[in-house]
Amino acid sequence: MPDKVSGSFRDPSGFMFKHDGKLYRQVNQKYQEEYDLLMNSGLYDQLNKSRTLVAHKEVELTLAPRPEIAYKVIQPENIDFISYPYEWCFNQLKDAAILTLAIARRALEFGMSLKDASAYNIQFQHGRPIFIDTLSFEKYEEGMPWVAYKQFCQHFLAPLALMAKKDVRLAQQLRLYIDGIPLDLASKLLPANTRMNFGLTTHIHIHAKSQQRYADKEVSEEQVKGRVSKAAIYGLLDSLLSTVRSLKVKTVQTEWTDYYQDNNYTQASFEAKCQLVRTFIEKVQPKKVWDLGGNTGEFSRLASDLQISTVCFDIDPGAVQQNYDKVKQNKEKFMLPLRMDLTNPSPNLGWHNAERESMQARGPVDLVMALALIHHLAISNNVPMIDVADYFADLGEYLIIEFVPKSDSQVKRLLASRSDIFPDYSPEGFRNAFSFLYDIIAEEKVHGSERTLFLLKKK
Amino acid sequence: MNFLSINEFIQGSTQTYLDPGSGSMLIQIVLAALLGAGVAIRIFWRNIKAFFTGKKASEGESKDPTGVVDDDPTSLPSDPTSARE
Repeated sequence: MPDKVSGSFRDPSGFMFKHDGKLYRQVNQKYQEEYDLLMNSGLYDQLNKSRTLVAHKEVELTLAPRPEIAYKVIQPENIDFISYPYEWCFNQLKDAAILTLAIARRALEFGMSLKDASAYNIQFQHGRPIFIDTLSFEKYEEGMPWVAYKQFCQHFLAPLALMAKKDVRLAQQLRLYIDGIPLDLASKLLPANTRMNFGLTTHIHIHAKSQQRYADKEVSEEQVKGRVSKAAIYGLLDSLLSTVRSLKVKTVQTEWTDYYQDNNYTQASFEAKCQLVRTFIEKVQPKKVWDLGGNTGEFSRLASDLQISTVCFDIDPGAVQQNYDKVKQNKEKFMLPLRMDLTNPSPNLGWHNAERESMQARGPVDLVMALALIHHLAISNNVPMIDVADYFADLGEYLIIEFVPKSDSQVKRLLASRSDIFPDYSPEGFRNAFSFLYDIIAEEKVHGSERTLFLLKKK
Repeated sequence: MNFLSINEFIQGSTQTYLDPGSGSMLIQIVLAALLGAGVAIRIFWRNIKAFFTGKKASEGESKDPTGVVDDDPTSLPSDPTSARE
């Protein structure tokens, strides 16, 4: 039986569904004309050639869950991991914005218009952003404004401006406002000097004022139709592009970005740890890996360099950005850096709490890595080790975990300013807690340090 | 009544399901007129330049300023479903 994908209901042009574990999209008859235009105008081929729109193939119509309104059933290329804007670093959101504008521009050249500009229509695949909504194109009507202008400003421009001009942590507003940050709120939060910036003052501040002023007003057909030429839409898109381009967040040196240069690891013990992790990965031979608290991805790359699809989660937006910059620079195809606070991971969000999946719902994976992480969860966040084990066991089959004892300088630092209320935090306590749920496959001391690496398999 | 809400009007004529917002549409009309004029001037200058240099004005026109969709295709498999199931 096909299962409708719960986040796919807003657009009447079609919907996503799952059948036998594979993802498909029903294209409704309502969308027939636009779909044919997309496919026959050359737009699809152009976007496919540049790998900017998800590729698809048409399959038998008999798969359609609602055949009475179906025109086609298509099977899009598989995306390794679905991520959301509130999990991206600044440069990821910026690249997603630029791609959206690029596609809107290219669509116009082929007589089509991008009818929505949702950040959720972008995913990261093989290290690059890709547009995943095949049904987002409509026939361009001469003289009509760009219908997705408001959405673009809410989903992209407002959060990027807030991150660049106020505080990078404001990205988390996207988790609260699932249809983008309201422009009046962005306008209030942005510093006064952003009014001197042409792009921000027009697309955010004046835009927000205009929304307020005309909130309850109806607008006549004559007021809109024929008022925006194609050249004017190009002008609008180019202005948004240059505004987005001008926004920058320096790759900030936050808590973890200097970790490997500035801790008590010697080069020899770092290499010994790499060697152990590599051996464990080779033993497990996973298809998918999640590296929790993976910092800038040093250890994640031991997996992704073996062409294993790897997601590297870290709480620090600076580390995620550094990692993403590296992915781009080296054109890495198997690494996806994401921002995630493991003490409060992405929940199920949106309508019916089912539009956007929690982090856990997007698993489980074959292998979870948690290196130099346990002390942050067990000591900084007071999570009992048995609960840490329980959570990790929900995320994946195998676990590579590093136990960092109290004698380690990093743990001493965490305990320096608080009383030690963790009598069970010991190698023995660790083994006891994790043995409830896992078998210990291997256990190795990390040469030149106090730490131990474990390879565990779920019971 | 000659007056329709933007939403009704748009929905009647296209497949659009988004609410473009009255205020957003109106500010866009003003902004787009301004920014479109910039584009028109750019094209005008390019034509003048083309006239004197003898190069076709359309040359370079298809180059996307975003640099995204003119990228060289990467060496990924062309069959979407063969990549990984």
